[in-house]
Amino acid sequence: MSTYEDRKVKGLVFNIQKYSVHDGPGIRTIVFTKGCHLRCRWCSNPESQSPKPQMAFNPGRCISPAKCGYCIPACPYGSIKDQGGNLDIDCTHCADCTTFDCVKACPAKSLIVYGEERTVEDVLKVVAQDAMFYSRSGGGMTISGGEPLYQGEFAVALLREARRRRIKTAIECCGCIPWETLDAAAEHLNNILFDVKHTDTEKHKWGTGVGNELILSNLHRLLSKYPDKPVLVRTPVIPGFNDDDETARAIGRLLKGYANVSYEALPYHRLGTQKHMFLGREYLMGDVSLPAGRAERVQAIVDEERGVK
Amino acid sequence: MSVTEYMNPEQCACHSPQEDRIFAKSRHEKDKYEDTHKRVFKMIERFDGQTPVIDVERALYFTQSMAKTEGQPLVLRWAKALMHIAKNISVSIDEDQLLLGRAGSKLGRYGILYPELDGDFLDIAVRDLPTREQSPATISAEDAKIVMEEIAPYWKGKTYHEDLNNGLPEWVHKLTYVDPEGLISRFVVNETSSFRSSIQWVPDYEKILVRGFNGIKAEAQAKIDALDIDSPVAQAEKKPFLDAIILVCDAIVLWAHRYAEEARRQAAACADPVRKAELLKMAEVADKVPAEPATNFYEAVQSQWFTQMFSRIEQKTGTTVSNGRMDQYLYPFYKKDIEAGVITEESAMELLECMWVGMAQFIDMYISPQGGAFNEGYSHWEAVTVGGQTREGTDATNDLTHLFLRSKREFPLHYPDLAARVHALSPDDYLYDVAETIKYGSGFPKLCNDEEVVPLYASKGGTFEEALDYAVSGCTETRMPNRDTYTSGGCYVNFAAALEMSLRQGKMKKYGDDQLGIATPDPRTCKTWDEFFDIYKQQHELFLRACFTQQLIVNKTRERHFAAPMLSAMHDLCMKHCLDLHTEHIPEGADFGYYEFMGFGTVIDSLSAIKKLVFEDKRVTMDEIIKALDDNWVGHEALQQLVKSCPCYGNDNDYADAIGKELDRMCVEYTYKYNKDLGINNDVRYVPFTSHVPFGKVVGATPNGRVDWFPLSDGSSASHGADINGPTAILLSNFKTKNYGFRNRAARLLNIKFTPKSVEGEAGTEKLVDFIKTWRDLKLWHLQFNVLNQETLIAAQKDPQKYRNLIVRVAGYSAYFVDLSPDLQNDLIARTDHDTI
Repeated sequence: MSTYEDRKVKGLVFNIQKYSVHDGPGIRTIVFTKGCHLRCRWCSNPESQSPKPQMAFNPGRCISPAKCGYCIPACPYGSIKDQGGNLDIDCTHCADCTTFDCVKACPAKSLIVYGEERTVEDVLKVVAQDAMFYSRSGGGMTISGGEPLYQGEFAVALLREARRRRIKTAIECCGCIPWETLDAAAEHLNNILFDVKHTDTEKHKWGTGVGNELILSNLHRLLSKYPDKPVLVRTPVIPGFNDDDETARAIGRLLKGYANVSYEALPYHRLGTQKHMFLGREYLMGDVSLPAGRAERVQAIVDEERGVK
Repeated sequence: MSVTEYMNPEQCACHSPQEDRIFAKSRHEKDKYEDTHKRVFKMIERFDGQTPVIDVERALYFTQSMAKTEGQPLVLRWAKALMHIAKNISVSIDEDQLLLGRAGSKLGRYGILYPELDGDFLDIAVRDLPTREQSPATISAEDAKIVMEEIAPYWKGKTYHEDLNNGLPEWVHKLTYVDPEGLISRFVVNETSSFRSSIQWVPDYEKILVRGFNGIKAEAQAKIDALDIDSPVAQAEKKPFLDAIILVCDAIVLWAHRYAEEARRQAAACADPVRKAELLKMAEVADKVPAEPATNFYEAVQSQWFTQMFSRIEQKTGTTVSNGRMDQYLYPFYKKDIEAGVITEESAMELLECMWVGMAQFIDMYISPQGGAFNEGYSHWEAVTVGGQTREGTDATNDLTHLFLRSKREFPLHYPDLAARVHALSPDDYLYDVAETIKYGSGFPKLCNDEEVVPLYASKGGTFEEALDYAVSGCTETRMPNRDTYTSGGCYVNFAAALEMSLRQGKMKKYGDDQLGIATPDPRTCKTWDEFFDIYKQQHELFLRACFTQQLIVNKTRERHFAAPMLSAMHDLCMKHCLDLHTEHIPEGADFGYYEFMGFGTVIDSLSAIKKLVFEDKRVTMDEIIKALDDNWVGHEALQQLVKSCPCYGNDNDYADAIGKELDRMCVEYTYKYNKDLGINNDVRYVPFTSHVPFGKVVGATPNGRVDWFPLSDGSSASHGADINGPTAILLSNFKTKNYGFRNRAARLLNIKFTPKSVEGEAGTEKLVDFIKTWRDLKLWHLQFNVLNQETLIAAQKDPQKYRNLIVRVAGYSAYFVDLSPDLQNDLIARTDHDTI
């Protein structure tokens, strides 16, 4: 594909986050894309899962129908009502909606649509705004999601075009995509952040909705084919799911012997709860929390098992 | 954990070192650095939290002398007054202090008066100072009587402020003051020259360390001997100037010698052998400096301090007689003594910190209510500059540079104001030390960018050598000590008021029917954006006209009222041309003045909302906007949200930034054209101190959603809460609103807030350094960071509007704290706890 073809490829993006300093080297911009095959119970970006644009409502920002109410006549289905001073939104038709007139009408950014179709050119224009910071910090663009390779053609075009423009690239990937897509992307990636959530496929299925066979096979093929590419394997340490010593040891064994792999255990957090609420979805984890020191213990066991200090 | 536990900031695991010290203090624990800084801690203990006392001696002796010398050349009168003060002012020595030199008899925190400047405020001041909200001060009944009976009456009708008030044309006066006496500021086209004799200054201290005042006195004597005795200019102008120089050199030496005597007297009465030895040593040093050149580190520091304090007695320059490049001019003395084993790092730091204590005790008092509002919290900025380049353009950092940075992390008060120069070749050991100091969390050092300042100064009248040797003065400005000449305090222009006037046909909500601006057409009649923007331009240009007219009158008025013989003695050009530093123009000199753009973000965001909603989207009418402003947005909440959703400055948004660049362009073009008339560089600057608060108090609701009397945006920062794209976007918007093709710009102040978490550890330091390097390469003038955490997070929960821009590390990215729900905010605090266990 030529640069002119790549620039025109379109994808569904729900956020472009600048000044990210914790995912990949240097100062980075993260491009969040829609769509994921996994349904992790703890998902902190629930708006990323669906491959379509999605309506959401943040009641905290709404200034009340009495003072505003612009959204009420805007909805083509007449699904928004003033219910005693609060908005009552019937979401039956939201999934069919393509115009999102209520969102356009809302001045307070209380009604939100997650997901906007954007071209590679358009996304890179935003990413390139911070190019000065990348070149001085060793940073660049990270694509994330959802699973950024869910929209494989878009992701590969975006990475390829970014590299043409000398923007360094990284991916946050859950691995549950066809090998060919991962392989095509890997070629254009400087850094890969790859999630391993569990080594036991049944447990994996319980936690994420899918088994782990494809993920683990992708990881091994990736590490074998690209022995020099830096890969950071990460595990979100989820209470009651994968925070036990045995799972940590199994992850450690899995990664043993790969020189280009580093590992990071990420402590569970509840930062997705609010967005679940915006989307009108139940947060499946309830209010459990991770016991103090668990993530550090998982990290230590994995390191020990791998023989890494 | 319960919410109340989260509310205790000490529950959080990652504190800035500063916060750790605050918490330790609240637990009555001994400060980490107390043992290694015993002497200064003891001194601070004695005045910490004390309300400053007014000391009237300087004003009294100054007035006595001036009353006797009327009609004589002003510079000579000033030198005589300084001699009278030097002979009579009390000499007092603080317990434990190693440096001599105070500006009066009062120990602890004190301030002195300058009746020649603003003596017409004295009666109000004596009445109101003890009870006023901002920076109060106490005065004894006896001293109040001296002020009212012996000082104030003489100055009635003679002060600079009264002369200026009478000198302004009516159309400028009404934009400057509310009342005919000029005691109440309009806060529209606002003069600041009446609360400082000059804008900030950096004396050439090195000259005193190397030559001593006796050396300068000899130079003056040689010049007198060489005068053409037949020349009237030589006799009537040069001779009195040189006489004044000799007199003032004698005055400061006499004053220092009186201190030496006092130290010896106290030593004789002192039972403690250690203190006795210290006092005798101090006397020995004061016998020698500042009369003679310094020969070691102690003498160099003492000589500097005498000079600094005497400059305070000489005149009020407005909180900012800065310390210059201390790591440069003190270094030869430091190096020699360290190598000889005469001093250690610790003893050198102790001596420097004795100076910081002296600075903390001397309060630069603003007696007018306006001055108080500009400088809340007794703020003063005797900037110490470190780092940067040598006169040859190589990196200038040395061991002393790092010692100053270390002292900043260990000395418990916010003095001195520390400025770190950064350039393309600044070494990593310096940048990392700077970043670590920033992470300490008290906002120091502020950064000043050689890559912006040096070429600008070289293009405005300095040689490259001089430009490379600049020093920071005041909060963001810089000086070339022997090329810069004096400029009066500049005008603060409230362009948010110009915006309001463009919507109200030249009137303001605050001032009712007063036709302050141009009676422009009703904006409701505008058919196009260009038509409306033209109305704004008319008000904007009126303000610029008023600003420049005011400045010319200010500059001419100043030299009739002030002289500064000591600082003139320290200036190459003054000595060469035998002219006082207050002379309106000194040959070969470059006057770097400025006027202030107040409300940059406020104006950009307001214009952006009008352009987009009224003229492009045609979503609302001008009438609706004006009605909403009349009603202070009450009943127009949806519209208020809508205007806030328009493109705003500070987001690297081209739509908003293009408006900002146009506003800046209007300023630099006007400045380029009319600086010639003024004969100075009166360039546009974006630095408000704390004044965006009082200036906001006169501006009604604005079309960016801001409510009546709310503070304006500060400096070149975004409006409150308008910047939602992170810190990189803030830098880029700043960059994109500058007109690099013009040189008619001065400083832009830029504040960025981080939490300790977002710059945690070595990786955090590295990213902070990378951020600084990008700022440097964007050629932005100034940058300072706030690294703060728990207290602020909790305060932010209570007052989110105020803390809109606080950045916190969330999961894999950083976010604005107040954008998170209370639940998440608490979650974040809890997770932080987990991180460290």
